[in-house]
Amino acid sequence: MKLGIVKEIRPDERRVAAAPSTVGRLVKAGWTVLVETDAGAGSSYPDREYVAAGAQIVATAAEVWTSADVVAKVRPPELRADGTCEADGLRAGATLISFLFPAQNPELVARLAERKAHVVAVDCIPRISRAQKVDALSSMANIAGYRAVVEAANKFGSFFTGQFTAAGKVPPAKVLVIGAGVAGLAAIAAAKALGAIVRAFDVRPSVADQIKSLGGEFLTVHIEESGEGQGGYAKEMSKEFIDAEMALFRAQAKEVNIVITTALIPGKPAPKLWLTDMVQMMKPGSVVVDLAAENGGNCELTVPGQAVVEHGVTVIGYTDMASRMGNVASELYGTNLWHLLDEMGGATGYKIDLENDIVRGALVLEAGEKRWPPPPPKKVEPEVKESREGKLPAAAAAAPVAAKADAPTKKPSGHGHGAAVQAPSKTAGMVMAIVGLIAAGAWMYLRYGSDDAPISLGTTKLLQHFTVFVMAVFVGWQVVWNVAPALHTPLMSVTNAISGIIVVGGLIGGSSGHLEAAEITAIAATLFATINIAGGFLVTRRMLAMFRK
Amino acid sequence: METLRSEALSDVAYLTAAVLFILSLRGLSSQETARRGNLYGIIGMAIAIVATLTTTIGGASLDPHPILLAAIGGGAVLGALMAARVGMTQMPELVALLHSFVGVAAVLVGYSLELHGDGPGDLKTRIEIYIDVLIGALTFTGSILAFLKLRGSVSGRPTLLPMRHWFNLAMLVGSVGLGVLYAREGELWALAGGTAIACVLGVHLVAAIGGADMPVVVSMLNSYSGWTASAAGFMLDNDLLIVTGALVGSSGAILSYIMCRAMNRSIWNVIFGGFGAEPAKPAAGAPAAPQGEVADIDHETLATKLLEAKSVVIVPGYGMAVARAQHAVRELTEILRGHDKLVRFAIHPVAGRLPGHMNVLLAEANVPYDIVLEMDEINADLPSTDVVIVIGANDIVNPAAEDDPTSPIAGMPVLQVWKSKLVVVNKRSRATGYAGIDNPLFYKPVTKMLFGDARQAIEKVVTVLRTR
Repeated sequence: MKLGIVKEIRPDERRVAAAPSTVGRLVKAGWTVLVETDAGAGSSYPDREYVAAGAQIVATAAEVWTSADVVAKVRPPELRADGTCEADGLRAGATLISFLFPAQNPELVARLAERKAHVVAVDCIPRISRAQKVDALSSMANIAGYRAVVEAANKFGSFFTGQFTAAGKVPPAKVLVIGAGVAGLAAIAAAKALGAIVRAFDVRPSVADQIKSLGGEFLTVHIEESGEGQGGYAKEMSKEFIDAEMALFRAQAKEVNIVITTALIPGKPAPKLWLTDMVQMMKPGSVVVDLAAENGGNCELTVPGQAVVEHGVTVIGYTDMASRMGNVASELYGTNLWHLLDEMGGATGYKIDLENDIVRGALVLEAGEKRWPPPPPKKVEPEVKESREGKLPAAAAAAPVAAKADAPTKKPSGHGHGAAVQAPSKTAGMVMAIVGLIAAGAWMYLRYGSDDAPISLGTTKLLQHFTVFVMAVFVGWQVVWNVAPALHTPLMSVTNAISGIIVVGGLIGGSSGHLEAAEITAIAATLFATINIAGGFLVTRRMLAMFRK
Repeated sequence: METLRSEALSDVAYLTAAVLFILSLRGLSSQETARRGNLYGIIGMAIAIVATLTTTIGGASLDPHPILLAAIGGGAVLGALMAARVGMTQMPELVALLHSFVGVAAVLVGYSLELHGDGPGDLKTRIEIYIDVLIGALTFTGSILAFLKLRGSVSGRPTLLPMRHWFNLAMLVGSVGLGVLYAREGELWALAGGTAIACVLGVHLVAAIGGADMPVVVSMLNSYSGWTASAAGFMLDNDLLIVTGALVGSSGAILSYIMCRAMNRSIWNVIFGGFGAEPAKPAAGAPAAPQGEVADIDHETLATKLLEAKSVVIVPGYGMAVARAQHAVRELTEILRGHDKLVRFAIHPVAGRLPGHMNVLLAEANVPYDIVLEMDEINADLPSTDVVIVIGANDIVNPAAEDDPTSPIAGMPVLQVWKSKLVVVNKRSRATGYAGIDNPLFYKPVTKMLFGDARQAIEKVVTVLRTR
């Protein structure tokens, strides 16, 4: 299989879809890697490093497009003014992997469909835990968040950290981060590391812990409304909420020196959160970095792609934050790509597998047929929580330029588990001893018992039942020690319900077809046992429904 | 052939049900999986009932009487109503009542088998019936009394008959004698006599146990109800009953053991000891009256202290349950957390009248479970805690357990609240706790008393805090 890496044609795009290190891994895995000459120049990866990693350098982009089975790039292919498209050389049946944003670029998707090729959009990879290693949006957002702080520091005329010097006191810079997705969290971590006082605002209360864990202060408005939207993104909020939010921002505007906005709502223009009057309230020399600039910007004064000075405040609207750190961005993007190719079967088993939920989610075109948007994913939520956990430190891992709720929820600190201890060995020993005694007695009876007490069918059955009984006691013993102490009451009510199994006895007794004393008693037994079953299970359900974090 | 196939089918169904029950208990190991665990239990039970109704026994298929089916429906409705109506503070009563149902069902199943046709022919079945009925009857009356005690219809004080150990022994001997008679001769009156003795024994055992030991009693009855089901399984040659009963029985036994360990007492001491009354006797000579002065605190001051504090620990006890103060406590928690205070709950294993009682109440009031900690988890943090609020708890925070070897609760692990910077104890009155012993905590210099009903007291503090 031939994998082609083309040079990005957009001016100022420094990234490339594969770094020499990832090329090395791909070649080892059996890929033939074609790299357009100078493709890595912007990221400080000269051609010779690609060659050393096992790639073949190809002179022109056209050659890569036409000969590769899989073409990988970073930016969406460009529609040129003369009506041609960057991807016009793509062969039918080949695959293109890149950022695509199909919702925003319908013409491009239509154009690509003519190629009868497969198109995989890395921005459409579903946000499930298994897909984290493929999640290029997060890798890029992480870089953007970091870079936002660096750019802000560059324009800001003072220290981030507070200093007491012989020449006087310098207060620490105050940084406000709006939107604590991956980019926001990365920005919080970076600003904190430089010594600033960091505050962060997000409409999703669930991110408060993440903000605090990075040393930020969580700001919120006291209105009961969660901004938790689908797939971990934020949703649009009510007017009442927005008013309260604006009041909070105005109060902050007078205090903070740096504002970094990262708020995105999927499928909509970025919400305007930092208004002109807030910029006017800020001290001259302050800096606003708008990471949502590409989608219209969170700040009213943002000029996408530029840094402008308005009312003495620098408003940075660069849309190429990740690209400004091309070296590391290419490396991380290349790693995401490597995992994606691996997910698609690698060089040997490469195929478009519609059963694979990562591939299915990211697949925009299959042989020119539109496959986007994908059917809604199966329930993935719990999984996401689980696995994001480990990632948090690196975490400032970040959402697209969007506020992404990757919710690295802390596991319930194993509350109670450790204390649930094992069965104390003393008691276990006692149980063993009793069982041993009984077994020995049974054996003696069977072996040396008098001949006039022959082993009847009943005795054998009794022994069988006894075996089952002892084993069940052991299983119960093992299982119940693991029950969290906080759940002891539900445990009691559920075991209560389960012991209603005695209903089986009532059912058998009451089903002889007659209605005499025996049956009537059995029916009464059934009645009591059923009350127990229904009452026990339902009350347990009620109780368990109340336990929440 | 048909019969064999049907029996094999029901065996498979029973095995499935048993596995589901095990998974159900396993699910309770954490809050996340607990709901699924309960669901497994429900599915297992449904499988067991359907399998039983469709099976054939000894070649004849079951012919359920319409009244039986009506009983199932009626029982389910009754049970559902009870479950829907019960308040979380009444949970202990409900659990005790449900235990009694298992007991009475077991007794009835045993009698049904005895009354059926010519009665059981062989010795083995009669022995099994006798054991099943006895354990069932004991569970039944014991649970009923526990239910009445928990409801407050009967005094929680232990009733100790003179020579009660001999009385117990006599009843034991009597029931064994009647059992032999019944097993050999198949005399119905002997079975009835045994049942009567077991009923009295059940009442007597529970009557001797004091209020503070109720968690142990309830979990022991839980265990008994399991053994009852197991005995019924032997009687009916039904492995599912045996397995399920054994699971429940060991679960209850473990709970009882955990409770006893939390009070540093042996299980025998709880069952036969009549704890709570004996220590009162020496106390009758020495004045059990409060020794020392207590310092009061008012709501305003407490609110100020709370606002000054960085970390707050709340220790709830049975008093919180009685006063239904859990919602007020949650409000307090929210306000304090809003002020960025570290608020946590410390739960002693025997707080309340049921294992895990406090956790359920706090969960009902929407207190997040990750700030509700156990004794072992929080004790080390108490010295660095600024304010501890004890709400309606007494014995579980009594320093005498550690300092005073002559104290009846000596050696019982307690929450070391007195090591913190300020302890505020909310109590209705100056009376002693269930163990009937004085609490030196109240006279310590770090302790301030907030007298009054728990809910009103906390609500007042909340009101003050809202204005600040």
